[in-house]
Amino acid sequence: MTHLDCNKLRQLATKTCIAVIIMLLTACASHPVTMTDSERDPWESYNRKIHNFNMAFDRTIFRPVAKGYDYIMPDAPQRGVRNFFRNLAFPVTFLNLILQGHFEESVEATGRFLLNTTVGLLGFFDIASRDGIPYYDEDFGQTLAVWGWKDSRYIVMPFFGPYTARDFLGRSFYGYAHPVSYYAREHNNYLPLVADLITLRASLLPFDEDIKTAHDPYTLIRDAYLQRRQFLIYDGDPPAPDYDSLLEDY
Amino acid sequence: MKLLLSGALFLLLGSSLANADAVDNRDPATIITEASTQILDLLDSHRAEYTQNPALLAQVVRENMLPLLDVVYSARLVLGRAGRQASEEQLMAFSKALSNVLINRYSGSLIEFSNKERIQVMPLKGKNTDTLTRVRTRIKLAEGNAVPVDFAFHKTETGWKIFDVTVEGISYVITFRNQIAPRVQAEGIEKVTEEIIAGNVTFDE
Repeated sequence: MTHLDCNKLRQLATKTCIAVIIMLLTACASHPVTMTDSERDPWESYNRKIHNFNMAFDRTIFRPVAKGYDYIMPDAPQRGVRNFFRNLAFPVTFLNLILQGHFEESVEATGRFLLNTTVGLLGFFDIASRDGIPYYDEDFGQTLAVWGWKDSRYIVMPFFGPYTARDFLGRSFYGYAHPVSYYAREHNNYLPLVADLITLRASLLPFDEDIKTAHDPYTLIRDAYLQRRQFLIYDGDPPAPDYDSLLEDY
Repeated sequence: MKLLLSGALFLLLGSSLANADAVDNRDPATIITEASTQILDLLDSHRAEYTQNPALLAQVVRENMLPLLDVVYSARLVLGRAGRQASEEQLMAFSKALSNVLINRYSGSLIEFSNKERIQVMPLKGKNTDTLTRVRTRIKLAEGNAVPVDFAFHKTETGWKIFDVTVEGISYVITFRNQIAPRVQAEGIEKVTEEIIAGNVTFDE
């Protein structure tokens, strides 16, 4: 197995930083008429620049690689690999279920992990879902929200994409709690992490057309991301939007 | 998104008995349950036909769905203030164009749903009033994952009608609003309606 050594990675990071700065300086300022949201997205002009950079990176490198993977890998093993990585997120889910006081659910999540890791052959087969064991999707960002950090501003991170400040802080604990990130940090081997991201990107390929044909891809991604996070924070039952206020104005 | 939204449409199908002007006395959960069983049968019995002729499928979906929806109310929510100056005709034309595009675009992938998929209607939760309620469902996909799809209903003179669909927590009304309203404000509703209709052609698959 190839091994990315520390120096190469550092070089890569430096080059990347330069690329980001160039992108920021040259990023096209023109964008379509849009709905601004000073409350949830006060950093919109910065975010749009990073968004444009990310889209360029996606177009030239990330997406083609994911497309290649999608092309050579049949659907069933592709699903298997996604299942494998999803199963590996167990420590994060478990810890956050506990931190949110969902003890029964943490037992279920443990049962799911054990079943899928053994009978499901290291998680490639999601036996638990077939058996009707619920899947819980919890992370540190959600826990911070449950603990009271309800509203957090939207921020687009280079390469990492859409986040809120709260959720990006939550993501930073991954190096300690998520096996794939932990492995990357401890062993300076980022290959599994890169594989995780490529397979994740491949699973998102069907959304590309929606984003491409959108009037404003930036707001589409932002609105979808923020709604999705809200949905996860409330464990699938967020308060309904205030539809009446939509009729009033915006 | 495509597959997920088609899941939503999938539930919206059926109810061929309903007529746009007749009063529908069923409660929201019943509407969803009946519509979903009806469409399962419809898809299963015409699968080959629909696979060959996506336009026919889109037409069938349209005919069956429209009586269950309040597309004008959805359009009002999507437009917000941008729709205030619009006349009744403009609003009708806009909502028709918008719903047609969505149906054409997403009905094609309905074919992928078979009776292997099951729909579970969840108990009522959250804020429900005499005029506004949400029906929460889970669509179980063949590989075992369940996709959460919620339907927002409001009470009209002709009964409960769906005006918003939320897939995985992402609301159609909220998301489209930010895509379309600024454009209507800048270009006017008629121009945007024309653009939607024109774009309609490329959505045909």
